[in-house]
Amino acid sequence: MGIRIAAMILAGGKGTRLKALTRKTAKPAVSYGGKYRIIDFPLSNCANSGINHVGVLTQYESSELNSYIGDGKNWGLNGVDSITSVLTPHQTEEGSSWYRGTADAIYENLDWLDALDPEYVLILSGDHIYASTYDDMLAKHIASKAECTISVIEVPWEEASRFGILETDDHDNIIAFKEKPKNPTSNLASMGIYIFNYKTLRAELLADAKDENSDHDFGKNIIPSLLEQKKKMVAYTFKGYWKDVGTIASLHQANMDLLLSGDPEINLFTVQANHRIYTEDNHATPQYIGPNAKVKDCLINQGASIKGEVDHCVISSDVVVEEGAVVTNSVLMNGCHIYAGAKVTNAMVGPLAIVKEEEVIDGDPKDIALVTKTK
Amino acid sequence: MVNMKNVIGIVNFHTSPELSPLTDSRPIGSTSFLGRYALVDFALSNFCNSGISNVGVLIKNHQRSILKHLGSMDSWVKNTKIGKMSVMINEDAISGKEANTDLNNIRANDWILYDTTASYVVIAPAHILASIDFRPILEEHIANHDKITLIATMIENPSKAYLGEEIIHTDKEGFVTDVEDNDGHVRKPSLCSMDAMIINRTILADMMHQYGPRNPLLDLKTLMYRAALEENYRVRVYEFKGYSRCFDSFKHYMDYSNELLDKETFDGLFHPDWPIYTLTHDTPPAIYGEDADVSNSFIANGSVIEGTVINSIISRNVKIAKGAVVKNSIIFSTSKIGEGAVVENALVDKYAIVTRSHNVCGKEDDPLYIGQGVIL
Repeated sequence: MGIRIAAMILAGGKGTRLKALTRKTAKPAVSYGGKYRIIDFPLSNCANSGINHVGVLTQYESSELNSYIGDGKNWGLNGVDSITSVLTPHQTEEGSSWYRGTADAIYENLDWLDALDPEYVLILSGDHIYASTYDDMLAKHIASKAECTISVIEVPWEEASRFGILETDDHDNIIAFKEKPKNPTSNLASMGIYIFNYKTLRAELLADAKDENSDHDFGKNIIPSLLEQKKKMVAYTFKGYWKDVGTIASLHQANMDLLLSGDPEINLFTVQANHRIYTEDNHATPQYIGPNAKVKDCLINQGASIKGEVDHCVISSDVVVEEGAVVTNSVLMNGCHIYAGAKVTNAMVGPLAIVKEEEVIDGDPKDIALVTKTK
Repeated sequence: MVNMKNVIGIVNFHTSPELSPLTDSRPIGSTSFLGRYALVDFALSNFCNSGISNVGVLIKNHQRSILKHLGSMDSWVKNTKIGKMSVMINEDAISGKEANTDLNNIRANDWILYDTTASYVVIAPAHILASIDFRPILEEHIANHDKITLIATMIENPSKAYLGEEIIHTDKEGFVTDVEDNDGHVRKPSLCSMDAMIINRTILADMMHQYGPRNPLLDLKTLMYRAALEENYRVRVYEFKGYSRCFDSFKHYMDYSNELLDKETFDGLFHPDWPIYTLTHDTPPAIYGEDADVSNSFIANGSVIEGTVINSIISRNVKIAKGAVVKNSIIFSTSKIGEGAVVENALVDKYAIVTRSHNVCGKEDDPLYIGQGVIL
């Protein structure tokens, strides 16, 4: 007998708009919130939903991400009747190729899914930030006897043309789907989170793989094709904080949302209990705040040493802010070092980057400066 | 190079002193330290970093507190198949049928000595703080063909430190010739036992079976000193020269915690190549409010700091409300300091609440203790 539900997390994207931050790191592995990596969120959400069979599909700069995911221990996904597998492109009898799209990535791993024989498959993105469970979405999928349920979020009308937009009837049945419509007729944006009946998904992926004109993409091909076939498809409206961090500015903002002055919906201190986010623990010493330090409105991880002034910042492990340095409205990623007298404003300082003595990094709230480690 | 597979480690909780009221419900080894650790993390990390993967934990009492901290016991082992940690409890002693000594505990769990081919046993206490690499000590022990090596350290003024341990006298070759209790009467620099030893496994087994049944009150330390002085086993002393502290009083617990706020002292204990492992709690990073004012302090993850914290150590999940002032104090996990409250020269134990505008002030030389779960 097969399992009830398996999750497939798409984590192969490069995240080009995150510039130098993703030159050597896959986007889902990018540091976030002082302690986490973005992929901790979907993985913790799976754990908190009791989904214990998780495949993580990686491709771009995958070695760091693969070793981070390991056997899923950091999220407790390595227990009895649990499996966490990193699924990278691999050679088969038919040959070998890179994943050609989101749908192709799942298609290439149908063997993995077949072995589990799940009733439902949850498709997730490895680079979304939200702390939730999939319990209600799955309940709705089952209750409405849908073949596919798409999680949607209401976006401001003026931004609707940036998203894949769904139209629904009064019973949340999806009647139309348009990728980035010029004149949107709905503001329900697809979050790229899908629950499929595995049988439906499997048949559709097999058909899609044979279609030479297909981009092998869920949004462009699979969803429109299922709609065309008049399959029962339902929208599940997600309430709460959700962010797809595509750019330096949005990653910076998502970090700032975690502060006490930020967005209470993603405050990590209030999303505890059932929505707790798990991550790798490091063996850093406790964080130290120096005698002349000033710390205001910040989130600071263990292992940091703050001797200067920090205001409105998110600060990772092993960061050093020396005496006389002033850092404002910035994200300091793990192991970066801000030397004495430096002034850093509206910036994102990448892992192990250095801001020299008296150096001034002066970004704009609308154009966040990015400092990365130089070789 | 010593083959560390040939070594087993034992952490000994039996020799820990009672530091009332701090240790009324827990041993000092599983007491919170620096907001993030338990003291025993240092002994366990020393074993792990030294490459000792087979470790036994001798528990005297308060096993709930110790087992809670040890968790699934894989936080201090490298290979989770090869590495193992075993908890040793002497059930007969807990029910009062025999003396609750470390020696009787090892006898009750003597499989730890027989279910192994290891040649050497390293025994370390839970109440002494140090980063010790046992490998060079083992190398000397083996090169000298010693049977027992006692680890000791030079203490400037033993009337003020290492109280309750022993002052060791040695001959020119470094063998123990005399032992006296450090009860505070000696003020000149002296070698003090760190309560840690290396002993050949077969020697320990032989000694235990030879002397144990004769004297049911005998403990390991007494047996070892008797062997050194009467039985000509010859116990050699290895002098450890790094930073170490023996937790022998409540006041010293406060002092030894606070002194690590000094960078130089801190670097004496924490070495970049000698990580200290502890149980993970999945708490978010610490968060500071707009009006937070923090200086010279350690703050653990999961804390919410909206008030003033000076020269203090704040543990996991502590809340310091707006307008609250915490000075020269240690706050244990999950406690709350309310709006406008003042805590000075105090230790606030776990789950305690100091409500709005309340003052909790001890003296610098006589810090106040607020018990677990107390609401003021």
